[in-house]
Parts: sequence; structure tokens; C-alpha cells
Amino acid sequence: MDVYFGVAGKKTDTPVADRNGACLSCHQGDKRTHWQTSMHASRDVACTSCHQVHTTHDKVRDKREQAQVCFTCHKEQRAQISRPSRHPIPEGKVVCSDCHNPHGSAGPKNMVRDNVNDTCYTCHMEKRGPFVRTHQPVQEDCSICHNPHGSTQANLLKHRAPFLCQQCHEASSHQGNVASFATAGTGANTLARGCLNCHTQIHGTNNPANISNERTFRR
Amino acid sequence: MAPQKRNVLMPTVIAAALIACFGTAAANEDAEVTALTKPQSSVSFGLGYMNGEGRRFGQYNGLNDTGAYGLLDLDLVSRDDGNGRWLRLKGRNLGLDSRELRFEHEVQGNWGYYLEFNQIPRNEPYQAFTGVGGIGGNTLTVPVPASRTGTFDLQTRRDRIGLGFNKYFSEVWNAKVDFRNETKEGARLWARGTTGAFEFAPEPIDSTIRQLDATLSYTGKSLQMTGGYYGSMYNNQNNGLNFIGGAGGLATFTPIALPPDNHSHQLHLSGSYAFTPTTNGNFKVAYGKALQDDSFVTGANVPMAPGIGTNLQGRIDTTLVQMGVTARPLPKLTLRGTLRYDDRDDKTPILRYNTLATGTSTFDGFNEPRSIRTTSGKVEASYALPMAFRVTGSVDYDEKKRNTSAVRVVNFREKTEETAYKAELRRSMSETLTGAIGYVYSNRDGSPFLITTLNNGTVATSGNRVAPIHLADRERNQLRLTLNWQPLDALSVQFRADDSRDEYSAIHALGIGPRSGNARNYSLDFSYSFSDQWQGTAWFSRNQTQQEQSQHVGAGTAGLVWAALLRNTGDALGLGLKGKPFTWLELGADLSHSDIVDTYDQQRLNAVAPGTVVATLPEITNRNTRLQLFAKYAVQKNSDVRVDFIVDRFSTNDWTWSTWTYSDGTRMLQDPVQKVNFLGVSYQYRWQ
Repeated sequence: MDVYFGVAGKKTDTPVADRNGACLSCHQGDKRTHWQTSMHASRDVACTSCHQVHTTHDKVRDKREQAQVCFTCHKEQRAQISRPSRHPIPEGKVVCSDCHNPHGSAGPKNMVRDNVNDTCYTCHMEKRGPFVRTHQPVQEDCSICHNPHGSTQANLLKHRAPFLCQQCHEASSHQGNVASFATAGTGANTLARGCLNCHTQIHGTNNPANISNERTFRR
Repeated sequence: MAPQKRNVLMPTVIAAALIACFGTAAANEDAEVTALTKPQSSVSFGLGYMNGEGRRFGQYNGLNDTGAYGLLDLDLVSRDDGNGRWLRLKGRNLGLDSRELRFEHEVQGNWGYYLEFNQIPRNEPYQAFTGVGGIGGNTLTVPVPASRTGTFDLQTRRDRIGLGFNKYFSEVWNAKVDFRNETKEGARLWARGTTGAFEFAPEPIDSTIRQLDATLSYTGKSLQMTGGYYGSMYNNQNNGLNFIGGAGGLATFTPIALPPDNHSHQLHLSGSYAFTPTTNGNFKVAYGKALQDDSFVTGANVPMAPGIGTNLQGRIDTTLVQMGVTARPLPKLTLRGTLRYDDRDDKTPILRYNTLATGTSTFDGFNEPRSIRTTSGKVEASYALPMAFRVTGSVDYDEKKRNTSAVRVVNFREKTEETAYKAELRRSMSETLTGAIGYVYSNRDGSPFLITTLNNGTVATSGNRVAPIHLADRERNQLRLTLNWQPLDALSVQFRADDSRDEYSAIHALGIGPRSGNARNYSLDFSYSFSDQWQGTAWFSRNQTQQEQSQHVGAGTAGLVWAALLRNTGDALGLGLKGKPFTWLELGADLSHSDIVDTYDQQRLNAVAPGTVVATLPEITNRNTRLQLFAKYAVQKNSDVRVDFIVDRFSTNDWTWSTWTYSDGTRMLQDPVQKVNFLGVSYQYRWQ
């Protein structure tokens, strides 16, 4: 049966699966091993939806232009990548395929590695530890606190301190304080780095110091 | 009869004329075919000038200072049609701090190798006005009394070298090795602090990340397999950050431990098999170890409990098993199923690092390795209905099991389970109109929350009130709508909308903790071809997220209860125009604007502690407008002169640092309005 790709994917009766079959007859395997169970395959995304074939310059394989191809569908991320705190995506230094395999993967959300944290560690390996003092959500999933696509908060955090920390921590002393512009003592929970003005080792610390209460990530 | 003189020249002339015509046509056709099929190389060089305050603009591209910059791009390609040998040299931004260069050499379908270099600068948007000395090294001198002596620009730079090789042993077997070495140097914004004293303490960055990926693959008609090894290593030249001087209250906060060296190794095997043309299965298994045995920081301020040794002996074993299958048992019915098991088993020895815990402490002194096991599965069915409808339904299940410690300071549950039900209806209404509407409902719950106790086993009065956001019971509803419309060949319109709402359950009568979350995204895109020469695009998007949460001040339940409503609203638009009014002139313009507002509403929920002020924080607005213009003039068929002009304007009223002064006197400064103009002129030459 003839496979007709149409014009820009339109004006063709050939089902997407058959169009993709033409490409997969050579390109199955390697990074496309998990294509058939991927979200893109499930939503009838054709290979030619993203790839330009009869050209020397396939936009999606050019780091400076790849993100624009992805934004054809992923509009929320288009707005996020230009936020004040971000990865260098507009500069083409970090691209969508550095973290996601659009052809499918064994990880969640098409992560290139087996889970979110292992993907982040490929560039942020200093966060891997393990550490003497560990911070549970850090070890579980970086995206509990961070939005990797962009944020208005420093370090791509989803919310600023103290609000982010107060989503888990309750007060024994100062933890539940109202956010304010106080600059003294444990009241300094909003300005500058917020709670991290003291609790600077928020990802965990390898400091073994036998000092009272020294699991509060300050050393 | 006299012999006739034949004009021997005429056929020659005619032949020559014919050859000239068809030969020229043939030669022209050859040239055209060559132009389309032979790889083209190009080099582009020029000069750029930037003027203005570029701390935000130049965060990652190196264009952060007023002045001239060299512009150089290379794209050299050579192909030997006889043996399929390719040589490529690609260079971008070679005159800037964000330069990259890649060399590739391959014989198509046989072997290939590459060598690449990539530089990624990161310039801190805030400038430090400080008296702290030794920034970038592992010993800082903190002035006493507080003082500011000069400005310092914090920055880091990653230098990445990559090397790779691949070889096809046969039609079905091939091997690949990729190695990457990345050094990162500089200093980043950091601090140390305790009650009454907060000091500017930039973290020195002097580290190396190495990664090695080696795979062997079999690619058959029905079966594809890839097995390999992935190793990674992190090395930090600095083990601890030391301090001289500074506030008396921070005298024992030295050294502060820096990230330790660590390394990991993983073996993996994945594959895909086509049982039939419409039934396919895939899998991945992987086993790995992550290890950390870097020496502890030592010193007078690092008293150590007995028996803990000289390093953590950290070890995490990871196991992944994933399998998936897709089948089309009926022409109109597609089924998909996946199962995934991801185990992170932290086998770090548990030792008593702290011997000072008392009966009423919220800790027992032991370190807390963190293990987590995730089991997830998905079943999906998709059916093609009449009239070009397709309905898809799926059920996703996700279970996480975690270890815990006997004494905790944050509430905890060992297991969470989430089941998500998804339904989507898609229709290709016509060639020109397609749309989809989808709905997701998910519910997360889990094992009962553990009772948070003190070291002596009594129930903590400052515990058991807040369910952490990633563990709390949660109901999520999400609606998604997409429409793609092409009313004319020249015009296409896209509309996307999604709305997601989360409701969290509290675990205490106080009702504190995360309460609800909400995210809304709308976007509208237009693309129009005015003519064969002119095309335009326009888009608008609005994104809003909202989080509501509440807290209690102090231990117990009799204190002030208050709530925060955090809202982030972003509006963005873009306009683009590109055209070729003449064969020798190409023009383009892109305008983008974003306006993002963060609001922090705080409200008192009871009348306790009337003297405590509960006030809304000032909202923060970040605005960015960028206009990019270019003109490309064809000097000759294979060379152009290009002029680029960029105007970038950023403004903010972010108060995070504007009134803050560290105990040592340091202030972090940022111009609230930053304007940048960039003009670049470059010449590009192409050849084949």
C-alpha cells in the first residue's frame, strides 16, 4: 500500500500509524525503543509532525530551534521558559530533548533517565549525595519544589520561602510565622533567601558535626 | 555537373547551437541538482555592539557588558559521494562566552566519531556590593565591623568537552560510546546564618562532572535490543567553606560542608519486539549503584560522635523494571499497557551521628537514609468511532513506598497511592478543523499518617497538624481543550485551554497545611501567509497558578492561624513578520512581551495574638519586551550581509533584596529597569 504523507500532514488518508511505520522500518530501536507506548504515539503524533525529512536542516534537531517546534503543542512551557529564573533554553544551551525523550522512555514524563532526579543529576550531580543529613523531598523528586521550565522565584522554585517550606513544615517555634519583611532573627523568613538565610544546606549536608540540633541544614 | 559545395559548417553550427542550448540546459540542470543535493558550507563573521544594562539579558549568552563582540559562526560540511564519508565542523557564537564547536567525521553506515566543546556561562543577575573577601575560594574573610568595599559579579561557567564514537559491525549490530567531561567554576549566591546573624557566603564552585555511556545494539526487523553501561562521577575540589571573622554567633559555623564527591554505575538492557505488525512490546531493566565515600570535613568546630568513621559510606542501589505492550486487536481499537517498578534502596549505614538528643528532642541522633519504591501502571484503550471521532480512555496507577525514621520533625506516611482516570474525545472534523477535549480525575491517598513523636515516644505538640504537600490526600480535576483550524490555505489558528484544580485534605481539626491549588492556561496562535513572500505570526497566552495554604504560629493549637493565597498570573504575546520583498532582500521582525504578576495575600483566620500583623505582601511585577529586527542583503548568489538589531527592556519591582543588608554589610543590587540595545553586522559566505 502506498504511504502518502500529504502536505504538512494534511490532505492524506494514510493513517498516522502507517506513515510512522515507514520511518520506523529503519529507525525503530535505540532512542525510539519505547515509541509505541509513548504519549506522542498514543495521541497520533506523526514523525513528520516534528521532523522535516527532505532537507539539510531539520529544525527540531537544531538546538536553537527545537523548542519552537515543541511549542507548537506545548504552549504552557512556551510562556515559562522566558521567566526571570530559567534554564538557558532560549540560548539553545539546554533544549527540551536534554531532559525529555519525545520518542518515549522508561521514565515518567518521557524523562531521558529512569526518573526525574536521575535526569536532573546529569547536570546537577552535586545534589545526588547521599548525605549525612538528608531532606526527604529532595531525595524523592526535585519537582516537588522546583519548576524546571521556568519561574519568577529564584532557583526555579515553585514558590518563595516561607510559603514553599510551610507546605510541609509546621511550627514548633518559628516555622509557622507569617511572611513579613522582618530582618531580625527567626523572623527573617521572606526577604533575601527566606528560610534559607539560615537553612542554607537545603538539599542536604555531609557535615557530621555532633552538635545539638544539627540536622537543621545550617552547616 | 560540378560537385556541389556542401556547407559543412552549417551542421556544425547547428550542432553547436543545439549543444549550446541543450548543453546549457543540461549544465543548468546539473547546477540546479548540485545546488539541491550537494552539502553546502558557510562561514559567517562580523561584529556586534551592545549598549545598556545587560545583567538579565546576558545571563546565559555572555552579552552582559557594554562593548563590542566578535561574531563568528561556522558550518563546514564535506561529503565524498564515492565512499559516503562526511566531515562536519560546526561552530556557533565563537566570539562569545557561550561558544560551541563540534567536529564530526563519519563514513555513513560504517563508523563515526565526534569531538565537541560547549561553554555555558551563567551570570548572576544581582550584583554584590560587599566587603567579604576570598570569593571563589574555600576561605572567606568576613569583615567586622560590617563594611562594603566594592562590587562583585558572581558567575559560573561550565566548560563541556564531549567525545563519541560509533561503529556498525554489520547491518544489525552497532556500538556507541559517548564521554562527557564538564568543569564548572566560579561562585554562586549563598549564605550562612543563625538567629541574629546572616552573612553573605558565596559558595565556591570548582567541580567536574564526567559521564560515560557505552551501548551495544541489535536492530533486527522485529527485535531491537540495546544493552549498556552508564557511569557518572562528580568531583568537587572543595570539601568545605571556611570563614575568618564574621559575627560571634556564627563562630562555630565553619567549615560549612560543600557537596561531596560521588559516583554511580548502571547496567541496563532495553528492547522492543514486534509480535505482529500491530502488536509491539518493549521493556527496560536496569541495575545501578550510587556511592558516596568522600572524607568528612574536619576541624575544631566539627566534633564527631564516636564510631562514625571518616566518611558516610553512602550507597544507594537502584533497580528499574519497565515493560509495555501495544496492540490493535481490531482495526479500530488500540490498546496500550505499561508497568514500571523503580526502586531506590538507600543502604547507607545508619549510625548515631548526634549523641546529644534528649528525651524531648525531635531527633534521635541517627542519620536518615531515604529509600523510595515506585510502582506505576497504565492501561489505555482508544477506539475510532464513526464520523472521524476517536475516544480514548485510560487508568493510571502510581504507588510510592518510602522508608521512615523512628523520630521525625515533619509528618509522614509511608505509602501514597494515586489513581487517575482519563478520557479524551478527538475529532478530525474536516481537513481544516481538528479538536480534542480531555478530562482527568485523579485521587491520591495512602497509608495512615504516622504519629510524630519526640525522642521519648510522647506525641509531639508541634507535630501531627500539617500533611506535607507531596504526601497529602489530594483530588485533582483537569480539563483540556485544543482546536486547530485552517479556514484558508494561508491562515491557521490554534486554541488551547486547560484548567486544573487540586483539593487537599487536612489531617488536623485546625485545617492547616496545603488547601487547594489551581492552574489555568489559555493560548491563541495565528499564522498567516500574506503572499508567497510575506508571512506573519501572532500569539497570546495567559497562564495563572494559584495555591492556598494555611499555618499555625507556634507549637500546640492555641496560636494564631493564618492563610496565604499565592497567585502567579502571566500574560504574554508575540508578533512576527518575515518577508522577501525582493530576491536580494529578506526582512524579519519579532516582537515579544510578557507581564507576570505575583501576589501574596495573607489573612488572619482567628483572633489570637491580635498584635501580630498579618498583612498582604506587595505584589511583584516582572515585565519583559523584546524587539528583534533583521535584514539580509544578498551581495551575490552565495553571500549575504546581515544586520541584526535587538532592543530588550526588562523591568521589575521585586523587593526580595531591595531592603536587605547582610550582617557583614553586603547588599545585592539590581537595576529595576534594564534596557539593552544590540546591533550586529555579519557577512556570510556559502559554497559547495
